[in-house]
Amino acid sequence: MVSKTEEEQVNRLESQVENGGGGAWEYLCLVRKLKLRRSDKVLKFGLSILNDPKKRSALGPEEWTLYEEVAVAAMDCQCLDVAKEFTKVLQKKFPGSKRVGRLEAMLLEAKGSWAEAEKAYMSLLEDNPLDQIVHKRRAAMAKAQGNIPLAIESLNKYLEIFMADQDAWRELAEIYVSLQMYKQAAFCYEELILSQPTIPLFHLSYADVLYTLGGLENLQTAKKYYASTIDLTGGKNTRALFGICLCTAAIGQLTKGRNKEDKENSQLQSLSAVALEKDYKQRNQSKHSLLTATLKSLKLS
Amino acid sequence: MGGETKYEIHQNAYIKLVLHALKHKTSAVNGVLLGRLSGDDTVEIVDSVPLFHSQIGLLPPLEIALIMIEEYYNDKGLSIVGYFHANERFDDFELSNVAKNIGDHISKYSPGAALLLLDNKKLEALPKGKDGNPVMQLYTKDTSRSWKLVGSDRLTVKEPSANVILLDFISSKKWKDITDFDDHLDDISKDWLNSDLFN
Repeated sequence: MVSKTEEEQVNRLESQVENGGGGAWEYLCLVRKLKLRRSDKVLKFGLSILNDPKKRSALGPEEWTLYEEVAVAAMDCQCLDVAKEFTKVLQKKFPGSKRVGRLEAMLLEAKGSWAEAEKAYMSLLEDNPLDQIVHKRRAAMAKAQGNIPLAIESLNKYLEIFMADQDAWRELAEIYVSLQMYKQAAFCYEELILSQPTIPLFHLSYADVLYTLGGLENLQTAKKYYASTIDLTGGKNTRALFGICLCTAAIGQLTKGRNKEDKENSQLQSLSAVALEKDYKQRNQSKHSLLTATLKSLKLS
Repeated sequence: MGGETKYEIHQNAYIKLVLHALKHKTSAVNGVLLGRLSGDDTVEIVDSVPLFHSQIGLLPPLEIALIMIEEYYNDKGLSIVGYFHANERFDDFELSNVAKNIGDHISKYSPGAALLLLDNKKLEALPKGKDGNPVMQLYTKDTSRSWKLVGSDRLTVKEPSANVILLDFISSKKWKDITDFDDHLDDISKDWLNSDLFN
């Protein structure tokens, strides 16, 4: 999960390297640090360094980390020859290494040799039952094979032990959303908000899930979490602003005739609407009239 | 709508959807189809808007998108006539419940709506053959009220050279220039109409 500034930084570096301005190593380190999935660029830039003996020796001991990073990227791009070659290089340098063993198992996974990969991962787990990466690879394999119930089961078991793993909670939440299991998805976001209450993305996703679940209580809670997202993002999050408008309209529908909370409801909505109008006027004038029409239809619906 | 409705998709609408799927290879994507009735038994899919590439099962972004899209296209005499979906996994040919539900919603306002599912195997085979047929499966809702896969002869691309152009765009990595509604919500200066895409 990256912030907008971090993403802009990576994109800037990427085009710089793409246009021959150097900075490949910096880019590769940044991608590794931010745990981004840009395998085609990692492969391309990584190869340009590793295939050049001068550049390679300039890396010193970091050379081996790069081999690992590029091997994984190669697997993601289905360039299995490259992946195999680099894995062999690492095997030679670090014979008997568990980290390289993991890479070999991933290679089996990339080839689609599921049974063999599973065997390899299980044997790695025998030696180290707390290897988080291997546990997660097994869940990923289940997902890749289309066995979503097994993926869910694996992730749940994993999270019983490693309950602080945000990435796993997020992956589980997204799987639940794709299966329309919104209550379960909500639970995941609740865990994330409890452990990291200042990350707006979790508030936003939670609100989205609650809105999707529907019902007066969920809509009112969703509205609160859109509001907290707006708070945490200084009012800059378009999705949260729209969320307020949607909630107000939906709540209005459900409570037609009942007169409570009218003032509070409409005040929050009009503030959000004003913020959206201002934003569109400034940054996308051509879509401004569409926005106005959208807001109008939400107020009336 | 009479039994054998045919669906004709315009090249630009078709290409946008496939490029969108290629831009986000690691997730499911979806989009809406805009068009009109043409004659007694043909639905012309004139344009498309790529929608989302993350958390497709959530309602709020979808509701906003549909309102805005309808608002824009009604002025042009077009309405939402269908839905496009591409699954996350290469070998997944199942129509997910999310896709069916969104399709159902669209059918309420547009009877005879089309549901298109990206056919990854056909897409992969595209460079090898000379197939002019769209790389999508067509589902329609019959009287049994469930989505059924329909013969591929009922979906055609208007321009016969569409796949040639598509292949060209694929090799030039044109998908980088596609903007979807997700991108717009993250940065409202981005144009989900993709008006400059084919210039």
